[in-house]
Amino acid sequence: MAARRRTWWVGQRISWLLLATLGIAGSAAVAHLRRPAAALAVPANFPALVYEVAKNQPNEATFELGRQLFYDPRLSSDGTISCGSCHQQSRAFTDGQALALGVAGRRSARNTPALQNLGWHRSFMADGGVRGLELQALAPLTSPQEMNEPLADALAKLNADPEYRRRFAAIYGPGKIDTPQFLKALAQFTSALISADSRYDKYVRHEPGGTLTAPEQRGLALFQQKCSGCHATDLFTDESFRNNGLDRTFPVDSGRAHISQLPADAGRFRVPSLRNVARTAPYMHDGRFATLPEVLAHYAHGVRPSRTLDPLLRQPDGRLGLPMSAQEQQALLAFLNTLTDNSLLTNPRFAPPSVAARHQPTLAGVGR
Amino acid sequence: MNNRFPTLLGLLVLPLALFSSCKKDSDTLDSTGSVNFTVRNVAGAQDLALNTTAATTAAGEKFTVSTFEYYLSNIKFTKADGTTYAAPDTYFLVNQEKPASLSFTVPGVPAGDYTGVSFLVGVDAQKTGLTDPVTFTGDLNQANNMYWTWNSGHIFLKLEGTITSTTPSKPLTCHIGGYTDPNNAIVTAAPAFNGAKLTVQAGHTPQLALKADVTKVFDGPNPVALSTFTGAHMPSAQSVQLARNYAAGMFSVEKITTE
Ligand code: HEC
Ligand code: HEC
Repeated sequence: MAARRRTWWVGQRISWLLLATLGIAGSAAVAHLRRPAAALAVPANFPALVYEVAKNQPNEATFELGRQLFYDPRLSSDGTISCGSCHQQSRAFTDGQALALGVAGRRSARNTPALQNLGWHRSFMADGGVRGLELQALAPLTSPQEMNEPLADALAKLNADPEYRRRFAAIYGPGKIDTPQFLKALAQFTSALISADSRYDKYVRHEPGGTLTAPEQRGLALFQQKCSGCHATDLFTDESFRNNGLDRTFPVDSGRAHISQLPADAGRFRVPSLRNVARTAPYMHDGRFATLPEVLAHYAHGVRPSRTLDPLLRQPDGRLGLPMSAQEQQALLAFLNTLTDNSLLTNPRFAPPSVAARHQPTLAGVGR
Repeated sequence: MNNRFPTLLGLLVLPLALFSSCKKDSDTLDSTGSVNFTVRNVAGAQDLALNTTAATTAAGEKFTVSTFEYYLSNIKFTKADGTTYAAPDTYFLVNQEKPASLSFTVPGVPAGDYTGVSFLVGVDAQKTGLTDPVTFTGDLNQANNMYWTWNSGHIFLKLEGTITSTTPSKPLTCHIGGYTDPNNAIVTAAPAFNGAKLTVQAGHTPQLALKADVTKVFDGPNPVALSTFTGAHMPSAQSVQLARNYAAGMFSVEKITTE
């Protein structure tokens, strides 16, 4: 435990050092904007960060710009849908819909996933087709079912807006707003959406407030026994692609095979994190389960066989799934509820920027 | 895409070149030149006019073209002795709709007589596989709409239009890309010089005039019947077939001019 605390502290020190160094290296004119956002420090109970922070140094002005972009519906073709329309903070940046709802009432093919701890992702989307956090924003932006806006048009809108031009120029210097600046600013916001302060986190880090009830502890033990083979580490995912037995065939969505074109990948989807899972219903890539008890019932007795079904869901006695009694499911449910993290769900930093926030002192200094 | 720098350099080194004309090209200053490429997109014997030209495949099937775009990259020049010069960081997007894109200049080519050229039709795996958006500038910028947002990587060739030889006619969509096995669609084209020479020297910009025949997307080692063709939209075995077709026969050298 003490060792864990130390890692956390050292980790923080290192990140700050890195930020400070780069801050000094940065242009003097914008130095006052380079206040670190401190958002990407690695929590003690997390594995190492995957995202290359050095290529997009966190600073307050860029984070705020990213937040503005994230909540700006003008980026969609008809001005009605922002990233935040589908990714709502109170639902851990999901939308409560089975399939996401884009411009003109169009439905995406998939369920909106939570946005949290994205800096630890090795790939994005349920099929892993997107290979970087910056690149990820291009998919919803340009998808006809989502924001339906060609990138060139989005950039033209930003360049036509004096306020955006001023804010981008203050960070990236004069010149047109182009793809890299746009994507990097957005990624400063999305990469800052970190969930590491649930009651469970406090429990494993032995922090104040970190108590689990007896049923929750039983649930944790069951989880470690039955679920953590896939929902691994304190990120609750091993980032692999697995078939968790939802279907026998995959005519509508073949998951990972859509990208790899390999039959062995048919029906495999990225193992999602279970942080804030009590808030992210409905569940699975197509939102087929409305509640957590339905999910648990699926694992207990709804798993369907197929060639690519994950071996962890085949019991030695030939039974499929993860046999669990009703009491065990109750305990698991209690445990899953301890993963709810208000520091993500209610943090005003992640909320839509208010008009007042747009005229914060950080920006007032920009003209100087 | 036009590179003015070599012209300026040429003007600067011209006097030097005059005085040292008897020396070998060992002088670093005047030892490189530029090569200007032009591309003429055609459909068989006709110039390609978007939405108008009736293109005909070897099997007699017909289509019109509304969009025709492709990347030429990793340009490499070969000398008679087999030595090569790979021009660094050469990525050009040719778009039939944008006349300026039908001509581009490769600077810094070592002086000498070249007997061949090759290039990728597409973008190399290393480049297109990058994830930092700052690496995609100019023609590689995703704002050019030649990038798959749901399966990170560039679209190497985009051919859209209408198949008109079927009743009713049907839309034609070929978006070819993919850079990992088994559906790696990165192909190399090496249109022959047929004995001609490309002479590169400081202060001159020889022109390499290429012709690209759109019908060769379907004709080639893997002929594709348009009547049953359902399009290519993602990395797939079909995309690889089409890529092998255009690698084999789409490009030819029309003319080499050394001013
Ligand atoms: C119409 C609803 C909708 C909008 C608008 C939308 N998203 Fe999403 N988002 C989704 C869906 C659905 C997925 C999952 C897609 C998939 O798996 O194929 C997703 C996935 C993501 C992911 C990947 C999460 C993961 O775990 O892999 C990120 C990051 C993300 N969106 C950010 C954004 C940003 C930034 C914007 C604005 C530019 C945005 N989204 C706009 C619905 C939306
Ligand atoms: C064999 C690997 C594996 C095991 C074991 C496993 N899961 Fe999953 N789980 C997955 C995959 C893969 C998905 C995503 C499937 C999809 O998107 O269609 C998933 C999805 C979920 C979801 C939906 C999350 C969301 O946001 O949509 C929940 C909840 C869940 N699992 C809980 C559990 C629990 C509880 C256990 C143990 C009882 C468990 N899982 C065991 C692989 C596994």
